[in-house]
Amino acid sequence: MGASTLLLTGNIDTIAQMSCNPAIGGQAKGQMVREIDALGGEMAINTDVTGIQFRLLNESKGPAVQSPRAQCDKKAYQFRLKHTLELQPNLQVFQATVTGLIFKDGKVIGCRTNLDIEFHGRTVVVTTGTFLRGLMHVGQNKNEGGRLGDFSAKTLSGSLLEAGIELQRLKTGTPPRILGQSIDFACLQEQKGDPVPTLFAFHDTREDGDLFHVERTGERKIGWSPGSEQVSCWMTHTTPRSAEIVRENLHLSAMYSGEIAGVGPRYCPSIEDKFVRFADKPRHLLFLEPEGLNTNEYYINGLSTSLPFNVQIELVHSIPGLEQAVLLRPAYAVEYDFAPPTQMLPSLESRKVENLFLAGQINGTSGYEEAAAQGLVAGVNAVLKARGEQPMIVQRHEAYIGVLIDDLVTKGTTEPYRMFTSRAEHRLLFNHGSAELRLVEHADSHKLLSKNRLSRIGVKLEKITHWERALENTKTQGGSFADALRRDHNSAGLPAEFIAESKEVKDEVLYRVIYRGYLERERRQIEKLKDVEKIKIPASIDYLSIPGLRRESAQKLQQFRPQNLGQAGRISGVNPADISILMVLIAASLREKTI
Amino acid sequence: MLNHADTIAALATPVGTSAIAVVRASGPQAADLVRAIFGATPPPRLAQHADYRDRAGVLVDDVLFTWFAGPNSFTGEDTVEISSHGNPFIAQKILEDLFARGCRPAEAGEFSKRAFLNGRMDLSQAEAVMDLIHARSERALAAANQQLRGALGRHMSRLVVELVGVLAVIEAYIDFPEEDLPPEDRKAVQTRLAGLLADTNRLLATSHYGELLRDGIKTVILGEPNAGKSSLLNRLVGRERALVSPEPGTTRDYLEERIMIGPHWLRLIDTAGLNASPSPLEKRGIDKTIEQAAEADLFLWVIDLTRPLPALPSALASRLTPANTIAVFNKIDLTPNAGVELPQIFPIVNISALHGAGLEVLEAAVVRLADAFHIEIWDELVAINARHAHALDQAMTSLASAGQKLAVYKPSELVASDLRHVLDAYGQVSGKISNEQILDHLFASFCIGK
Repeated sequence: MGASTLLLTGNIDTIAQMSCNPAIGGQAKGQMVREIDALGGEMAINTDVTGIQFRLLNESKGPAVQSPRAQCDKKAYQFRLKHTLELQPNLQVFQATVTGLIFKDGKVIGCRTNLDIEFHGRTVVVTTGTFLRGLMHVGQNKNEGGRLGDFSAKTLSGSLLEAGIELQRLKTGTPPRILGQSIDFACLQEQKGDPVPTLFAFHDTREDGDLFHVERTGERKIGWSPGSEQVSCWMTHTTPRSAEIVRENLHLSAMYSGEIAGVGPRYCPSIEDKFVRFADKPRHLLFLEPEGLNTNEYYINGLSTSLPFNVQIELVHSIPGLEQAVLLRPAYAVEYDFAPPTQMLPSLESRKVENLFLAGQINGTSGYEEAAAQGLVAGVNAVLKARGEQPMIVQRHEAYIGVLIDDLVTKGTTEPYRMFTSRAEHRLLFNHGSAELRLVEHADSHKLLSKNRLSRIGVKLEKITHWERALENTKTQGGSFADALRRDHNSAGLPAEFIAESKEVKDEVLYRVIYRGYLERERRQIEKLKDVEKIKIPASIDYLSIPGLRRESAQKLQQFRPQNLGQAGRISGVNPADISILMVLIAASLREKTI
Repeated sequence: MLNHADTIAALATPVGTSAIAVVRASGPQAADLVRAIFGATPPPRLAQHADYRDRAGVLVDDVLFTWFAGPNSFTGEDTVEISSHGNPFIAQKILEDLFARGCRPAEAGEFSKRAFLNGRMDLSQAEAVMDLIHARSERALAAANQQLRGALGRHMSRLVVELVGVLAVIEAYIDFPEEDLPPEDRKAVQTRLAGLLADTNRLLATSHYGELLRDGIKTVILGEPNAGKSSLLNRLVGRERALVSPEPGTTRDYLEERIMIGPHWLRLIDTAGLNASPSPLEKRGIDKTIEQAAEADLFLWVIDLTRPLPALPSALASRLTPANTIAVFNKIDLTPNAGVELPQIFPIVNISALHGAGLEVLEAAVVRLADAFHIEIWDELVAINARHAHALDQAMTSLASAGQKLAVYKPSELVASDLRHVLDAYGQVSGKISNEQILDHLFASFCIGK
């Protein structure tokens, strides 16, 4: 977009360091990574290039819920992204810890740092991850920090509170890391990557000048390409002995001894939670995931805990294959501040402080993909705001990114929010392959993609619509090709020119043709909702003074301050009659203005 | 920006007391409705007399209808107003037919809202419109809450809990393919869906009140051959419908008529005579009678005063109670048989079906019994009931479609898509059901999280 931008970070070497397992994608998240790519984000290409295992999840189900997932080389991922930032025109990267924000007349105008250097800007995006008053727990042991070995942003919270932004606590956790050569792989079940990797990036936009060392074919193997070099993960499980160890020491766990105030995610429970809440489940599956090609460190996926370190050792040793395992880093729970996201506008700008944008864990989400999606939207909108332009709002019916932000700002969250496909009303439209077709208008109007790439998308879309029509209209035995496809998925005899198209084009055409009835039903529903989505609610409205609005609704609306009637209708406790009253009121105020 | 894609329909007059009931439909589909029901759109703003036939071609009522071409209508949209005879059941029939033809039940105050939004009311009326929406929605809410506290609410919450449970299972396998879940059991899901389908169906069917509204109170006329059952039916209906002849046993099958008695919509069924020693043909007629009686709400037991009191077949006798039966002594114009002993336990009315004597007394007696079926209704409540049926009907369709998909191994996200529709449909009866409920259920039932 060409805006002059400063990136401040406490440590340049830990830019894009993955605090949990180095895996990108998975259900709903994989689709979201492709949406990020469609809006010009770096996550997809960075994952493709540094990925060391690729799998397409849900291959047995329909295309809408198939998701790509990749295991990355943690260090390569992080350093390649650092390299990308260094090469980015108009971006200045600087290492300093932000200690507070500078406000003037209810707006943010810059920030202070630990080096006593102040920076000023028209807009500020704050992405604190788990570092905002981060506190780590290993049993009764406590250390300040947002990640093991890192610091904690302690004074920034005070600055946010001072500006009237409410803060609450959340909790998340991570399992122990162990040394590969201490694992007995012989008794473990191997999980290989797909022979043909499903990559995330729609287009390979890399140019010679930006290549990171793993991409330079001269320095690596000749013929290297993303996904050509994959490693395996390994599966094991807990034993009855593991359950005993956890139960005997439950009182020492930070989570169960009342040390932790923050709320943890239900979908990523600690091993303590699993044994307590699902006591009848005899064993829990664990995955050993390599953290990279140039390290022997393994991540025990599924063994997140806040038990004391000596108990962790005993617990790890109770697991088949890990009897002799050496722990490199302990598991820990981390508590951090977040700002309940209903305090934000859908542009991710704070309602309380103008020009201040928030993204990632500070908004109550968890996950790299959720954070990246918000970072992208907040970044784009910070530029648009600085230029006095209207924000980019990705709608709920367009993409998971739209669902994510709409859920956050209209409903808020009480646990770290993770995306699931089931959160999207129209997930049948959100197949990963269509992401760049769904979002091309946003990308185009905000110049998020190169001209070259936009025109390639245009050509692709033309081909897809051409074949969609051609297959519907070309007769074969017992109807059109489309009929035959819908009837029994029979793709025999499809025109040779179609077969010659790229896999991307073919997959999308087949999806649209085979699922046409369902996709049309979804679109009809969207059309129905669009009307109310378009009706903007004036920012100055005082719900409590509207006659006829039920008290409960008025209070909810006053609290969440929806921007349009569609959002208002999604707030729990607001009923259709309340929406009708608002519609009449808005129409009346519009008419008043035009008279 | 405020154009409305839906065509809405509702009663425009209060129900029950007025001489006519006005059903109004407004929206882009209104012209098509007029053409489909009455043949063509007449000149606007002129009342037309016509028969209203439902989609199946069955005559509902003779009505007056007026066609208003937008913007010259109350709402500013194409509108049709249909005036029928002023009883809730006929208006209800018409409304249900309009819903079947694609209209949506109007929300509280929606006609006024559209009128305002389309510039048919001035600004000073905006507040009045909001008050109206508020008042009506409060009343509708009160009525809905009352129902939801009752049996319907209990049934609905059971259905919702079960459906949320089924969806949680399906969603778990979609959203957590990597988790260590027990093997997916499509058969079990199929069984649960079949259960939901049956329960939804039962709810629709056992909502007897809805059935009474739709079909009338099922009233069976029974008695011996030649006791005057058909004459009575003809008297009540006011025209020659059943074949009346002095030969006993003329009515071998049964005949059906729908009439209004007082405020009640009755489905009158004339049955074959109950002969103590029937011929094989008569025997078949009697079996039919017993079949009809099994589902009847009311009985008119016609007894020939000139003959000895007959005995009833036991299959029938057990159905008759003082709350559902009137003993109708016919032929008071002739000499009574001295030996007739009155069945005292039933209310008794003396008539002459032939001459029409005693009919008013009989009608009053019918009204007294039928009142027991009558639930207090007013306009919003009727609309809610129609909406329930409408919603549950949609739920049934989507449930069936989900079940079929499971059976032929269609991808489960398509099954889920159908079930979301069911959830929305249930939600229209029981109040909105949020996505969170599915996730709550999912996390409570499965150990998710590596």
